[in-house]
Amino acid sequence: MHSTELLKGTLQTIILKLLQDNGKMYGYEITQKVKSTSEESIMLTEGALYPALHKMEAEGLLTTEKVKLGKRVRKYYTLTETGNTLVTQKVKEFAAFIKTMNTVLQLSPA
Amino acid sequence: MTLTEEHIDYIIKDVRYRGIVYNELDDELIDHICSLVETKMSKGVRFINAYDQVIMSFGATKGIQKIQTQTISINNNNPRLMIKNYLKMAVRNLQKHKFYSFINIIGLSIGITCCMLITLFIIDELNYDQHHEKADRIHRVTMESVYGGNHFNMAVTPAPMASALISDYPEVEMATRFRSSGTWLIKKADGDQNIIEQLVVFADSTLFDVFTIPFIEGNPTTALTKKNSLVVSQSAAAKYFGDESALNKTLILDNEQTYTITGVYKDMPQNGHFNYDVIITMLNRESSNDVQWTSNNFHTYVLLHPGSDPEAFKAKLPEMIDKYVGPQVMQFLGKTLDELINSGTWIKYHLQSLTDIHLYSQLDVELSPNGDIKYIYIFSIIALFLLVIACINFMNLSTARSANRAKEVGVRKVLGSFRSHLIKQFLTESILLTIFSFIIAFVLAYLAMPLFNNLSGKALMIPFDSLYFWIICLSATIIIGLLSGTYPAFFLSSFKPVSVLKGKIAVGTKSGIIRSLLVVFQFSISIILVVGTFTIFKQLNYIQSKKLGFDKEQILLIENFWALGDQVDAFKNQVSSLASISSVSASGYLPITSSWRSDNGFWIEGESRNETSVSMQYWRVDHDYISTLGMEVINGRDFSRDFPSDSSGVIINKRAAKLFGFENPLGERIVTGNRDGEDIVHTIIGVVDNFHFQSMKENIDALCMILGDSRGFAMLKTNSNDIGNTVSQIEQQWKSMAPGQPFVYSFLDEEFNDMYQSEQQVSIIFTTFAMLAVFIACMGLFALAAFTAEQRTKEIGVRKVLGASVKSIVYLLSKEFIKLISISFVIAAPLAWWGISTWLESYTYKTTIGIEIYLIAGLLAFLVAWLTMSYQSIKAALSNPVESLRSE
Repeated sequence: MHSTELLKGTLQTIILKLLQDNGKMYGYEITQKVKSTSEESIMLTEGALYPALHKMEAEGLLTTEKVKLGKRVRKYYTLTETGNTLVTQKVKEFAAFIKTMNTVLQLSPA
Repeated sequence: MTLTEEHIDYIIKDVRYRGIVYNELDDELIDHICSLVETKMSKGVRFINAYDQVIMSFGATKGIQKIQTQTISINNNNPRLMIKNYLKMAVRNLQKHKFYSFINIIGLSIGITCCMLITLFIIDELNYDQHHEKADRIHRVTMESVYGGNHFNMAVTPAPMASALISDYPEVEMATRFRSSGTWLIKKADGDQNIIEQLVVFADSTLFDVFTIPFIEGNPTTALTKKNSLVVSQSAAAKYFGDESALNKTLILDNEQTYTITGVYKDMPQNGHFNYDVIITMLNRESSNDVQWTSNNFHTYVLLHPGSDPEAFKAKLPEMIDKYVGPQVMQFLGKTLDELINSGTWIKYHLQSLTDIHLYSQLDVELSPNGDIKYIYIFSIIALFLLVIACINFMNLSTARSANRAKEVGVRKVLGSFRSHLIKQFLTESILLTIFSFIIAFVLAYLAMPLFNNLSGKALMIPFDSLYFWIICLSATIIIGLLSGTYPAFFLSSFKPVSVLKGKIAVGTKSGIIRSLLVVFQFSISIILVVGTFTIFKQLNYIQSKKLGFDKEQILLIENFWALGDQVDAFKNQVSSLASISSVSASGYLPITSSWRSDNGFWIEGESRNETSVSMQYWRVDHDYISTLGMEVINGRDFSRDFPSDSSGVIINKRAAKLFGFENPLGERIVTGNRDGEDIVHTIIGVVDNFHFQSMKENIDALCMILGDSRGFAMLKTNSNDIGNTVSQIEQQWKSMAPGQPFVYSFLDEEFNDMYQSEQQVSIIFTTFAMLAVFIACMGLFALAAFTAEQRTKEIGVRKVLGASVKSIVYLLSKEFIKLISISFVIAAPLAWWGISTWLESYTYKTTIGIEIYLIAGLLAFLVAWLTMSYQSIKAALSNPVESLRSE
């Protein structure tokens, strides 16, 4: 499992990218998706997830939609247009970052 | 597997119990937990264990709460969302307490309106003469001297001053002069109707090099370089020629001199210390070429080179006295300057910066009446006071209502509001209130503008099109909002939820030391302003009713009497035969400052010229002057047609007799020099009692009157009450004898009052704003009293049931405020005393301000405050206790 220290800066990128690939998602679904695709090496905690989601919503990157499931209310997140354009940029940025890290840390190219 | 409804209910209840209440988060957090529990249960774990594990994975209650806190703090930092929320809450709060909001908004908007008007007034005053591009380099030379026992401080200097300055001092780039010249009758070359022009002046051709006076037609560099040329303002040109071009047209002045218009300039701005419609070339004023340094008639302005130091230049001015004045003194008086100085006569030249003239210069012979920096200070203080009083209302009402809002604060805090959040909430409320007040203030100011202009004699406008104005208003809104909102915001947000919700801080009305202080402050200011108002009124009244030494009532003045030409005597005879006229006199010299003045040095015949020299006003009058004005001859006799020798006689005033040191002045012979340097001898035939011929701000100087032809004004003493009829009779007479000449009349008492116009203006402005200040303060008190009564409804109910009388309840409710107003009085009285003594110091003749003024002001404040409160207290006292106690 990767340390939270390393994950901190990538959280937003992960969420945005997931939403772009899967359309609308709810909080629990996001944690599960991250867990499965990363083969359990990234564990997204609720304490990090929800503040991040609310922040991006406030910044206008996400919109929400509430669906009633009996007694429960499920809140779905989708990307806005601004969010959508940001994803590509964020992913590119991250790729460039990895490349730089490869050189800096003199790793063999992945 | 899916959870049952009971399970979900359990989870919702438990999560809420753990303190998750945030609207935006609770649903999804519950859903999330449910999903996790479901996953665990599908692996065969029992619900209650699964739920326990999930909660533990969150970090128990603390962990869950942390998620909430972090989410809230993110949203708190999102300005758009929060401001929307603050605004919504603020509007709701203002609507809920309509009465208090109304008092606040009205009080504040009146305060802001006054402040806005006064600020515009002050800005206008401070910007005098700033429109001249070289304003910072232009200075005026003035003269101060002591001669013949009199002290002169004049805005005028000798004719050769300007050219001497240019030739002697390299730092002087240019100099120019004005020579004021009274009123003129002007008509078109082909017209027969004269128009009176009051704003006429002679000026050097260099005028336009020094001052910025933009031309519409003509060339400023050559405009005044030829004899018989003049330039006129745009509006004057329009008066004579309408839409036609006025350039190169001719005008006839005083029915005889023909001038060519060589330029038309844009009307001068109102806020300049001179404002002329007609400027005549100085070449037509012969005395402008005089080389005499002993007569002062010219306003001299110098333009210094950029970078030269006015102070250093000023320090060089005394050289001029040695170089130019000295030799002439030697020539005329036969004395050296040092000898003169030893005998107490001296002369000094000063330098004034152009932009200081309007507010700091109070000399004799100013080009127009100046303002006074003192009034600027007074008005600034009043504006500030008004605003502060209005802000205090806001603070007081907000904190007083704290008891009601304490619960709100408690609940909000329990729900997780941070203190900063509450402070922002309260500040938003106060800023919103300020914005409303500003909007109302714009409307009020717009409506009050014509009235205010009338009061202040200005032509101000609210600069709605100026960006600065809006920036200032916007920042003022925020500053006032913060100022009045900060104290309540911090006070209210400091409540501890536990004690509030237990009901411990419901005593908001009693525990208000700061509130009491603020009320004391408001009323101290109000009492000071009321005392000030009374004082100004009393002083003005004193001036207007003081024994002046002459009778100003029932005297009709006809201006420009000389327009009658050779018909003067015939007119006098005709008019004095009217039944309604008891006497007629003609002279340009009147005991009002707007008339002519002339002074000469006199000495006793046979004695040397400077030792006994007395400088006296030297007035030419006719036989009927003293009787028409009702002056009292206390020694000797008035001029009489029975004594032909009176043509060399002179009547002096008591002050002059004292300065000469005459025991018995009758028959004494005094000498003066005329323009050509010849001696003229006068025999004293009478002494009149001193009369005020200058403003009351000054002492009565020495004065003498001789018989002579002087036709500035005709004075007609009427004995009829039908003024309208009398005037029309006289006007008919005038029209038949002087066709085409304008008939302009006024009344001596009105002209006299005009001398105190600035005092009158100040008194009206002061009164208006003082009343408004008291009004706003009372409004605050009214609301505060209403609130107290409301707060103590139950107490009053219980007291009444137990047998308290209405009187005792009214007393109970007013007691506190009465104490505060008494304290205000004690604070205000010495401050007011200091203020009015300072103001009265500038008057030589002043009224006495007794203790009664303070008592009246104090009593008035007390009465107004008591009336304000008693309405509320009596209402509360009379209410039926059943109403207030039923709900228990």
